[in-house]
Amino acid sequence: MTEPTQVLKWEIKELILETLRITDVDLEKIDDEKPLFGSDNALTLDSVDGLEIIMALQRKYGVRIGDQNLARAIISSVNNIAAFITQEKAKING
Amino acid sequence: MSIIAYNHKMAAHCESGTVTSLLNNRGLEITEALVFGISSGIFFGYFHKMKSFTFPTFIVRNKPGQMRSNLSKRLGIKFHTEKFRKPEEGQMALDRLLEKNIPVAVQVDFFYMDYIPSWEKVHINVHFIVIVGKIGSKYIVSDSYFPQLVELEGESLRKARFAGGSMSPRGFLFYPEYIPEKIDFENAIIKGIKKSCFYMLKLPIPFLGVKGIRSFARKIVEWPSRSRDIEHLSHEIMKINILLEDQGTGGAGFRFLFATFLQQAADILKKPELTDLSKEMMVIGDGWREISLRAARYGKNRDLGIDRLKELGEMLSNRATAEESFFKKLYKLIKE
Repeated sequence: MTEPTQVLKWEIKELILETLRITDVDLEKIDDEKPLFGSDNALTLDSVDGLEIIMALQRKYGVRIGDQNLARAIISSVNNIAAFITQEKAKING
Repeated sequence: MSIIAYNHKMAAHCESGTVTSLLNNRGLEITEALVFGISSGIFFGYFHKMKSFTFPTFIVRNKPGQMRSNLSKRLGIKFHTEKFRKPEEGQMALDRLLEKNIPVAVQVDFFYMDYIPSWEKVHINVHFIVIVGKIGSKYIVSDSYFPQLVELEGESLRKARFAGGSMSPRGFLFYPEYIPEKIDFENAIIKGIKKSCFYMLKLPIPFLGVKGIRSFARKIVEWPSRSRDIEHLSHEIMKINILLEDQGTGGAGFRFLFATFLQQAADILKKPELTDLSKEMMVIGDGWREISLRAARYGKNRDLGIDRLKELGEMLSNRATAEESFFKKLYKLIKE
């Protein structure tokens, strides 16, 4: 399976900051591995932010996360989002 | 006692997920989407003034337990079901079944599931999990909301199974007792779709189905007069998001699940037109998600003027129009 690229992870972080209109957090301070919700990451998001991110991912990458339980797992960290998008792109490209 | 060999899977929704998982583990190949569609899980109801609710609320699926009973009728599957008056009796019955290597679904108050992070905990009396074993004082749980099997202290499970309040579980448990060797999926799918169309279009009650969405659209502007203050109103508006997205699979999630069902039904019934309707339902689901997000934003920012409520009402009205048109097309196609 193709591994998510650093460029994709960077792009995801940019998308999160842009979507949530966050201007006071540096991209490089967001840990790829640490949870984005209820944690000590540079970003501490809530469920409303989560929903905004899900919709922004759908708009940008054309990936619909219909299943809320799956959504919760996917958007839990930058690494998980990147892995999901990479996997979905691979499916589309056959 | 030990752990029963059980293939655990996450699912979109606890009730359809639990039923699917039990059936899969008994060797029946069926997806969660098929369980949801065949059992006519999709629904809508808006309750503006009801004795049992202190504030207007809504539901986006059929009532708890109905998925299992509808599925049972349409597929000929028999489920053993039982409720208990005393917690000790409920626990003993569960332990006896586990000793016989029978995985058992139980209804619980979600709040007592200790493995769920604290910020996600809420009291919901209609969560379903499967118990697949017991080691010492701990039960082994297959919870479709969780990625792997988890342990739960017996005391927590007891509290969860015998929690009080609305729709209290009263120790309710169930498991499949009989699965027919041959199942007529085609007929079951058609019946499931027809009933869903009936629920959404033809129930002669003004607050159920598409009429319920319209009622919600009209009445949401009256919410300020039903709330104590802005904090209360904000809490209730944000609950739209919780009901649509966080509890179960909500409005959007259930619509996506129904869309997946139609996609699978298209293959089984060899009706490619259902694929187009599946895509249409996905878009309808996106619309519900927009409402959810908008409500959450407005609630969070206490941005709750009459214009905002009218805006939400209009979005809801658009959902009603979209779903009415959708279910009419679906009914026409399926009755042919």
